[in-house]
Amino acid sequence: MTRKSAGKKSYTSPCADVRDAYHDCFNRWYSEKFSKGQWDKEGCVSEWEKYRACLFQNLEDKNLRRYLEDETSSHTDTNTANKSVDGEDTTK
Amino acid sequence: MVRAYTQEHVYHHPWDRVTSAAFRKFTDPSASTSLSHVLDVHTLSRSLNPSTGRLRTVRSITVHSPSLPFLLRRALGGRDSLTINCVETTVVDPVGRSMEVSVSNVGLRGLIEVEERSFYGPHPDDPGRRTAFRQETRIRCKPLSAIAAIAGKVESRCAERFLQNSQKGREVVERICGYLEAESTRSKSAIS
Repeated sequence: MTRKSAGKKSYTSPCADVRDAYHDCFNRWYSEKFSKGQWDKEGCVSEWEKYRACLFQNLEDKNLRRYLEDETSSHTDTNTANKSVDGEDTTK
Repeated sequence: MVRAYTQEHVYHHPWDRVTSAAFRKFTDPSASTSLSHVLDVHTLSRSLNPSTGRLRTVRSITVHSPSLPFLLRRALGGRDSLTINCVETTVVDPVGRSMEVSVSNVGLRGLIEVEERSFYGPHPDDPGRRTAFRQETRIRCKPLSAIAAIAGKVESRCAERFLQNSQKGREVVERICGYLEAESTRSKSAIS
């Protein structure tokens, strides 16, 4: 009666494949390197880029998208931020 | 009204293995039946601080709510359960060997607020081989006038379900620890 695996599939996003590839890579990196003290190099960078690009295109939920975009803003040194940072000129 | 409770557990596995298993809890194929309320998991952001080694990961976890009481079902247009998005933030400090996981729902906050904080650290009695786990959960139903009368019921049902699920979650983590242990013994014997 609980053969609902088909129902579960319907929630799978178009990014499922790149997501699984990233999670596999991350899990391996975390258990073999990071948790053992080798944290000098971030793992799974290309997998992450592909996955993130896909989420950017496909993730529709506004509440969740905020978290995707948060990361971009904290990583940008460029002036791509369209946010209303009014006091910009006072920093110089 | 708020329901809050704390749970503790000791894993007889080292910290690195337990935290590896904790990360895999929702994505491991073996979890799909016991954690069947989890519909989807995505990583939304990650960052590694190059000077401290702290790793911060944000994931979305989409879950099925427990089946709703009749009155609420009517208020929500006949749906018997809801899909709720939660956001999980994990911070791992590989130097101090700590992992802190906080989960809260981002959807339906007008109805219910669930906050869960978990902590994994080496057990003080045997830090190399045991891991202490502590989890604090707070559930609060918003007293929306229309559903105030049944809010208490939803809350207790959610609390029950949460307790069941965190029990299942620990079982999944134990199982994954088991196979990670088997894997590491195998690879060690392959090397020697």
